[in-house]
This record gives sequence, C-alpha cells and structure tokens, in this order.
Amino acid sequence: MENFEPEIIAFCCHYCAYTAADMAGSKRLSYPTNVKIIRVPCTGKVDALHIMSAFEKGADGVYVAGCLEGDCHFKNGNTRAAQRVAHVQKILQDLGWDTQRLAMMNMSAGMGEVFARTACEFTEKIKQLGPSPVKQMNTDSYRQTQR
Amino acid sequence: MQKLKDIEHSETAHTHVLVIGGGVGGIRATLDLAESRRNVILIDSAYSIGGLMTSLDRTFPTNNCDLCTVSPHLSENTRQVYLNLMPMTRLKALTGEAGRFTATLVTEPRYIDMEKCTACGECYKHFPDIVRFTPGLDPRAPTCMRYPQATPYAFSIDMEKMADITALQKICKADAIFPEDRQQIKTVEVASVILSMGAELFDPSGLTHFGAGKFDNVVTGLQYERIMSASGPFEGDLIRVSDKKRPRKVAWIQCVGSRGINKGDVPYCSSVCCMVSLKEAMVTKERFAETIETTIFYMDMRTFGKDYELFLNRAKTDYGIRMIRSRPHTITEDPETKNISITYALEEKALQMTEEFDMVVLSTGFRVPGSSVELARQLGIELNIHDFVKTDPFNSVVTSRPGVYVCGVAQSPKDIPETMVQASAAAGMAASNLTAAVDIPEEDNGFIPEKDVSTQPLRIGVFICDCGLEIGGLLDMDKMVEFAGCQTDVLVSRAVGHGCSSESMNLIEESIRTNDLNRVVIGGCSPRTHETKFQDLLRRAGLNKYLVEIVNLRDQDAWAHLGHPKEALNKAFQLLRAGICGVRKSRPLMDQFLPMNPNALVVGGGVTGMTAALQLADQGIKVYLVEKNSTLGGLAKSIRRTIEGEDVGVFMSRLTDQVSTHKNIMVLANSIIVDHSGVPGRFKTGLQTGPRMNYMQIDHGVTIFATGALPNRPDAYGLGLHENIVTQLELDVLIEDYPEKIKKMTQMVMIQCAGSREPGNPNCSRVCCQAAVKNALRAKTLNPDIEIYVFYRDMRTYGFQEDYYRQARNMGIQFIRFSLENKPEVWVENDRISVFAHDIILDRKIQIETSCLALSTGMTADDETTEDMAMMFHLPRTSDHFFLEDHVKLRPVDMSVRGIFVAGTARSPKNIQESITEAHAAACRAQALLAKKEINLGAAVAKVDSSKCAACLICVRACPFSIPFINEDGYSQIDPAKCQGCGVCVADCPAKAIQLFAYEDDQILAKIEGLLGGLN
Repeated sequence: MENFEPEIIAFCCHYCAYTAADMAGSKRLSYPTNVKIIRVPCTGKVDALHIMSAFEKGADGVYVAGCLEGDCHFKNGNTRAAQRVAHVQKILQDLGWDTQRLAMMNMSAGMGEVFARTACEFTEKIKQLGPSPVKQMNTDSYRQTQR
Repeated sequence: MQKLKDIEHSETAHTHVLVIGGGVGGIRATLDLAESRRNVILIDSAYSIGGLMTSLDRTFPTNNCDLCTVSPHLSENTRQVYLNLMPMTRLKALTGEAGRFTATLVTEPRYIDMEKCTACGECYKHFPDIVRFTPGLDPRAPTCMRYPQATPYAFSIDMEKMADITALQKICKADAIFPEDRQQIKTVEVASVILSMGAELFDPSGLTHFGAGKFDNVVTGLQYERIMSASGPFEGDLIRVSDKKRPRKVAWIQCVGSRGINKGDVPYCSSVCCMVSLKEAMVTKERFAETIETTIFYMDMRTFGKDYELFLNRAKTDYGIRMIRSRPHTITEDPETKNISITYALEEKALQMTEEFDMVVLSTGFRVPGSSVELARQLGIELNIHDFVKTDPFNSVVTSRPGVYVCGVAQSPKDIPETMVQASAAAGMAASNLTAAVDIPEEDNGFIPEKDVSTQPLRIGVFICDCGLEIGGLLDMDKMVEFAGCQTDVLVSRAVGHGCSSESMNLIEESIRTNDLNRVVIGGCSPRTHETKFQDLLRRAGLNKYLVEIVNLRDQDAWAHLGHPKEALNKAFQLLRAGICGVRKSRPLMDQFLPMNPNALVVGGGVTGMTAALQLADQGIKVYLVEKNSTLGGLAKSIRRTIEGEDVGVFMSRLTDQVSTHKNIMVLANSIIVDHSGVPGRFKTGLQTGPRMNYMQIDHGVTIFATGALPNRPDAYGLGLHENIVTQLELDVLIEDYPEKIKKMTQMVMIQCAGSREPGNPNCSRVCCQAAVKNALRAKTLNPDIEIYVFYRDMRTYGFQEDYYRQARNMGIQFIRFSLENKPEVWVENDRISVFAHDIILDRKIQIETSCLALSTGMTADDETTEDMAMMFHLPRTSDHFFLEDHVKLRPVDMSVRGIFVAGTARSPKNIQESITEAHAAACRAQALLAKKEINLGAAVAKVDSSKCAACLICVRACPFSIPFINEDGYSQIDPAKCQGCGVCVADCPAKAIQLFAYEDDQILAKIEGLLGGLN
C-alpha cells in the first residue's frame, strides 16, 4: 500500500477545533489534504450514526475534535462526545476493526499547531493501518465476482 | 463594517457616546451601549482594537486561551448597527457639558482602503518593514496583523518608510493601497464620554538591579506570555532567548517597580501580578513539563479575588510551585551559560542565599502612560496622586467632569472581570445622558420580504472567490467552477474576485435575482468570519438567510496545503461537493423571537440592590425591589466609614430615601420569593409579602440578584467571651460612636483571616485587610498613645489601599506575620485579654496583653438564600455557596440563564464601592436586554418530533442546561427560548426524534456523502 491516500473525516466543533483549523491555515501550517472537516456546533452533536455512516461511505479514519476538557462552550458536550467515541470504538472492535481508526481530540481555538500536528499524526496512523475494511471488503467481493 | 452616516453632520442631536480606548473594557462598554440602542463611536490610537488582553497567552483562574475568549467580542463589534469604530484616532479636544459635548477627533492616515483590503498578506510578504504591526517581543508576525483575529481585519502602512508606492500598489491585488490618505480632523456631538485607555506595563529596563534588557534570560511577565503564546515568537514553545533551549528552572520576582519607595518604583500595588505569576507558573508546568522547577519570590501573596485563594492552594499543592517570601536584591548572569543567579534573604533565618535559574520573569505592574495624563489635562478631569483617573468615592466610574466616565485600569489597577464590571457600569451611566436610538427590528431592516422557496425545485448558485490569489493562486479556479457547474441542480457556477468586496457582493446578489436562485454556495474563506455577511446578502436578495453554505477553501484548504496544488484541488472538489450536497438539504429557518416584559425584579434591598433599582428606575423601568427584612440597607447599614474616610451612613440614608420615594420603584419589604417560572424576557415570580404573608405574583423581563452575604462569626480567638473581643465591623462602630472608649485603651490587637483561608472556609474575604488598616489608622489617630499590633498572614491591601498600609506602618502600627500552622492563641482571664503568638522574625513566643482584640472575620455566603434562589431560578453556585456567574472573566454579572444578573457580595466578597459598581453594571446589562422589544434567540434550536418520542428521558438527562421536559401529553418538549443549540440531545436520542435546526442530521449525512460520494 505504497500510495494509499486515506480519506479522513474530522468532525470539528465551531467554537474550538474548527477555529483551530482556521488558525492553522492562517499561520500556513501544513497538514495532509486527506483530512476534511465537517463543522458541528458542538462535538456533543456528533452522532454514532454520523461516524458509522462516514465509515460506511468509505472513510478510512474519523476523528472528533472538540474544546479542551472543561472548556466546552456547552458545559460538557465534549465529554459526552468522548463517551460516544469510546462507545463506537467498542462497536468497531466487535466488528474486528482497529479502534485507532476513530479518535477523540481536544484543543482550544488558539491551538492551530495542535490541529495541524494531530492531523498529520492521525493521517500517518491511518496510512499504516491501510484502507478501511469496508474498502477491502468491496475489493474482495469485486475479486470474487471477477473469478 | 457599518458606518453611521450622520456623524459628520453636527446638526444631529447629541445622540452618541464616545468611548476612548478599544481594550476589553472599551469593547464591553461599546457593546453594552450598542445593545441598549445608543450610538457609539469607539476610538483607539492603535491599528486594531483589543488592547492588552490580546497579548496574553492565557488568563487566570481558568487558564483558558485568551484569544478564544475575547475574539468573539472583537468580531461582534464589526456587526453592530449602532457602532462606529475608528482605529488610529485620538481625541484632541472636548468642549461643552454632559449631554452636549463637542469632541474633536484626529484620525491618522492608514494608507489602506479598509473597504477593499482583504487582509491577504501580500503587502507584508513583500514589504515587511513598511506594513505595521505592534511587535512586542516578536521577531516575526504570522501575518502583518498583530494577531490573527485583528479587528478591523486590515493592514496599515508606515508611509515614512515607503519609498516606492507604485511597487506596493502593484503588489496589492485588491487595489486597496491609498497613498492620498491624509490625517482627518472631525468634530462630533456626543452626550457622554467613556475613558478606557487602560495603562502600560512597567518597563523594568530602567532599573539597575534586575538585569532587564541586559540579560537575555531575564524577561518581563508580558514577554513571558508572548513566548508561551501560540501566536508568539516561538509559536507557543517555551524556550530561552539565549540558546533556544527549554528552561528547567524558572523564577518569578513579584512587585518589580511596585510597592516600593526607591527610584523608579511606584508605591501602589498593581493587584493582578500575583495571580498572573501563579498562572504563568502553572501553565508552564501544565503545558511544557511537569519537571520544570518554578519558584515565585513574593512579598505578600495577594490572591483576594473570587476563588483566587483556591487557585493559590492548587498552585502549591497540585503543581508544587515553590513560594519564597523575599524580595531579591541582586541578580547576576553567568557569561558562559547565560543562567541567572538570584541572591535573596530569608525572613525567618536572617540568612543570605544564592540560587541559579535558567530564566527569570520580572512581574511588573501597571503604569499610567504620559498620553493618558495629557488626555486628562485636555479633558479637564482630575487625576489622583498616582495619575490614575480620580473618581467619586461612592461611584468608581464617575470622574470629576460630569458626563465623563471611566472604566478599567485607567481608574485603578485591576483584573479583567473588574474591568468588565466597570465597563458595564460606565456604559450604564453614559447611557443615562441620552435617549435610545430608533429601534431597528431585525425583522424589518429594509430587506424585501422573503420568497417562499418550499415548493420550488432546487436552483443552486455556486460562487467561488479567488480571494486575490490566496485561493486562486493555488487552486485552479476554472476547474473548480467547471466541477461545481457539473453538479446536480447547480444552475450558476462562477468565479468572483474578492467575494467579500462590495462589487462582488452586488454581482452575486444580481445573479441570485436574475437566475431566480434559491440556494447559494460560497467557496471562500471561513464561515466563522464571513457567514453573517453572506447571510445578509441573501436577505437582501429576498432569500431566507439559512439557505447559504460557506465552503472554507481558504483557511482550511489553500492556506493549509501550499505546495500541493493537485491534492489541494481534489480536496476543494470534495469540499465543494459537500457544500452543494449540504445546501440542498437546507431549509428556510426562522429566528426565534419573544416579546419582552419591560419590568425588572431586584432581589435584595442592600446597597447593591438599591443602587441597581435606582439606576433602572431612573431610566423609566418599573422595578420591584424585594427585601426579606423589614427595612432596606443590608450589611452596609452597619458600616460607618470607608478606608478613605467617607461617611457611609450619610450615603446610605440618602440612597434609602431616593429608593423609597421613587415613583418607579415598588419596595416589597418583609417579602420572600416562593415560586418562579417563565422564560427570559417573560418571567413570573411569586412572593409572600408583608406581615400577613400575602401571595402576589410579579411579571418581569429581567432579574437582578443582590442578596448579599453574611458577616462571618467564627467560633475562634475567644469571640463572644469578652465584650472587648469584637469583629472589625463592631470595632468600626465603636470607633465612630464611642471614641472615648478607644481613647482609654492602651493596646489593641487585630488578628487577620479569622475563620477564613483555612479548611472549612478556604477563600479570602477580600475586605478584611483594608478594614483592619482602616480601623487601626482611625484608632491611632484618636489615641496616638495606643499600641496596635496586627497579626496577619498576607496583607492584601491591593491597589491604592497600599498607601494606607504604608501610612499605618509609618505611624508605628506593628504588623506581625503568622502562618496557618502557628496561629496566635487568645486567653481571657479575670477580664484580661492576652494574645500569645510565635514571632517569625524573632523566632520566639511573644505575649501581648491587650485592652481590645479585633478579629477580621470577613464574610460568608448566605447559603440559605442562595440555595433557595439557585433551586428556583436554576442558577449555579460556587463550592462556597456564592452565585456563580456565566463567565468568570468576561461576563461577571451575567448568570448562565439569560435575563438573570448578579451583583455585590452575593457573587463574592467585596467592599461598598465595588458593590455599587457591580450594581451599576448589572443594571446596565439588564437595561440593555430590556431595550430590545423582543429577543432574537437564533435558529439553531432543537425540536422534538412527538410522533417519534418515546419519553425515555434520555434528552432530559443529556441536556447540559436541563431544558427538555416531559409535557402534559407525555412527550419531551424543548423550549426554543431556552435551548442553547448544542445538539447533545439530538445525538443521544435513541429514537432520532429530535433535530437541531441548521444542523439537521440529513444535512450532515449529505455532507459526509458529498465528501466521500462515489468512493465505494
């Protein structure tokens, strides 16, 4: 998988992580283009279904990025998000997936560097893990039909 | 930015307030005034507003990022209809009187047309020396603005350095360079003026003994903040200036240039530096390495603010920050290692020590700059002996010139919450000199009616902004336009140059009309900064403002992927497709509005409640003032004098008279609150009132809690065992009413922190040190022969109170320190009072027989009252039972429930003047809310589909604000007026019965599909 370019979806909260991503941009800090952001008001809004849907549609990695712990604009939305991420990780585990394909991250709005760094690290990790089992499955079934 | 057309015409009535200084205080005052529909002109001599706070890395006591907290306030400024922001502007003269001033303003040329400038940064890239920013310690600026959230979002040119203006003009793609720009002088008619010039931080390089400016690794507190800041010179990495290595040992030296009488020193205390250094030490350990040794050299640890003592305790126990009570006298540098040696003496050992550190931070305080002294002279306002603006003894925002008010550090050294309080108070006072401007309802600001698009087929227009070359330089515009044009339902796809310029905005508006578009996608910069601008555009074009989607092609694509045009273009395709898929699912949404009840309820009839009630009533607002006791006055009634010597009794009786006789105030004494319901703007509160406890119900739009605190009476130091063992409150009465008793006394002992700053009541009561100094000075003046001993732990005579503390020492009053582990003991035998204590300096036991023992007992929260109110009104409290405000830094008098405010000692211990200021602030905030005929609650609210709801209670438990409830029909209901729009309940609902407007699930799923579609 030399040239594998993973698809990564980052659900970012409006008040912190999304702003941090803007900050990374305004400081021209580079991170891989694999990461694409979907803006949510609060990470507490990110549904298990959204995460699963992203994997189903072909994402190789998903992360949810919210405010620092204790700093959530909505009091505890980010801790609820963290619980939900842990819950979905369990589901992935039951499916035999590597749970590292899903992560929760916390950063403040000023942490452009952190956004860029974590985006790099997460992309690197997903590259090592290879394409998501959904894609592998599709390729396998494709091969089978070819036979 | 909205500009008020009428300010250049002097014939308009005096309908404006002039705010001088755009730091956090000035911004707060401006927003409060604009909210209450007063037209405001905010001037600042700098290129962009924000003041000192924007240079800080984090703020105490939450250690949150500063910019994140303040930047919404900065950008909010540019949106207010009633606001005119004038950077690079000074006040030259002010003539006339309150209500009818004429102000002369001088604006320096910026040489950049702010209407055209897109802040792309090209000019700075080519001419870094000419484009201005305020450098501080930064050898580098991320952009040519001082920080990324600069308001206004534009540059400034230093024309003196510019040799070749045509070259600069060629570089600027927005054609914003304006070499003909000249200094402009304008006169404006204003009703009131608010001063919020702030102050400078002391530059210690003039001092000979601290090595500032000489040794690389000696920095000031502010420089240390810049080093740690993400937007600072080292991108937020803590490294030494000399060798770019991470320091292992950092020391802070407090009171550099403050609390001194030597050359270069000022005698007052700057009030904030102790907390600042504690914060810096904690953040150092938190963010960089637990192993970095942090040491603070201090004189008195002055953590007197709300919950600040807990912060200090955490610094000591959880972070292991070392505290040394000493004022170091010699600092030297090792020429090889560039390490810094500090020599200091220890109080308890009479020993000289020397220790080496990698880095030393000098904690410097506030200084009044010469420009402020000059401004005061021009305005004809008085300054105090330290050059801070002199104010009324019972109103800290009223200057010597009627109609001119002051807030923030320009008045006295203070932290951000106190600045915010004063700013709101000053805004409230300033607003009383002019009537509110005509209400421009958000529904009816000249826009044509919205078109009904519900039955129309989708007609999407995609407009891709090149942002100069910021986007177009990396991403192929033609290919993006072509790609977007091929997507389903897209009728128009075109590129626009500088999409946010008025020219392009008109073009987009025109295209919406001619092509009858009903959905719009803008490919450009971040929705965070420009969404409202394009939403307004849609409204002008007759579309609902929620039918637009902004695709962030600049900040999150082009800027982040320089050097990867191919990958970045593919990402742009995906982002555009996600935006188009998302906008197809968008629906017209209604902002939630509620009509406002114009009355106010003030709970508590002490000095705070009465002041707030009077301020509101003077503005024509009907006020219900509820007091549980039979008379007004509260705790302040039992205070005789302030530390400045002002007669509290006279002030209180005048205030009580005014309140009792005011036609707009209904005083409800002997009354208790028994129930509460309703939504912000339409509250209903039930009372039992009068001797018969009759029930009555009040309708009101806002509530101010001024329920006060209780004087503490701990069972300690023999309190109650002897008639001459008294509290400071009782001593105050004794001195004023029975001076002959004081004259007969030979000794007097005071013990500080009696029943506070110890387990059980860990916080500092803030007022006791000043009370002790006040009473000691008065007793000594009455009876010069009396010997007075004050046992203290840290003398917390913050600000100008330091003058009285110094005066007390000069008059021979003895201050003897004790530690929590070695508290004094009191013996009462045969009517004689003896105090035994351990003297730290002599290192032995001492015994003092005394005629009188005064205990500084401070105050505690009125637990019973705050608990009742917290239950009924759903309000949070602190661990020691004071009310907890919405934001400890920026919204100190707002509670988390909209329309509910808190002031005075119900929030935290404070003195009379501080309580009065807070009362004015709460009244101003309340009044700003009442000025609106209705409240806009936004559109992002959650709604339950009752046909899917199983009443499982998950949303009821999940909501961080406890808004959902099960209604009479057995389904969950969410009050749109109370919903904060986080969407936590939506994600948790197992039946998927809840949707959050503007972020509906189908829209999010459509975006996921758009990003990944066709990959499988």
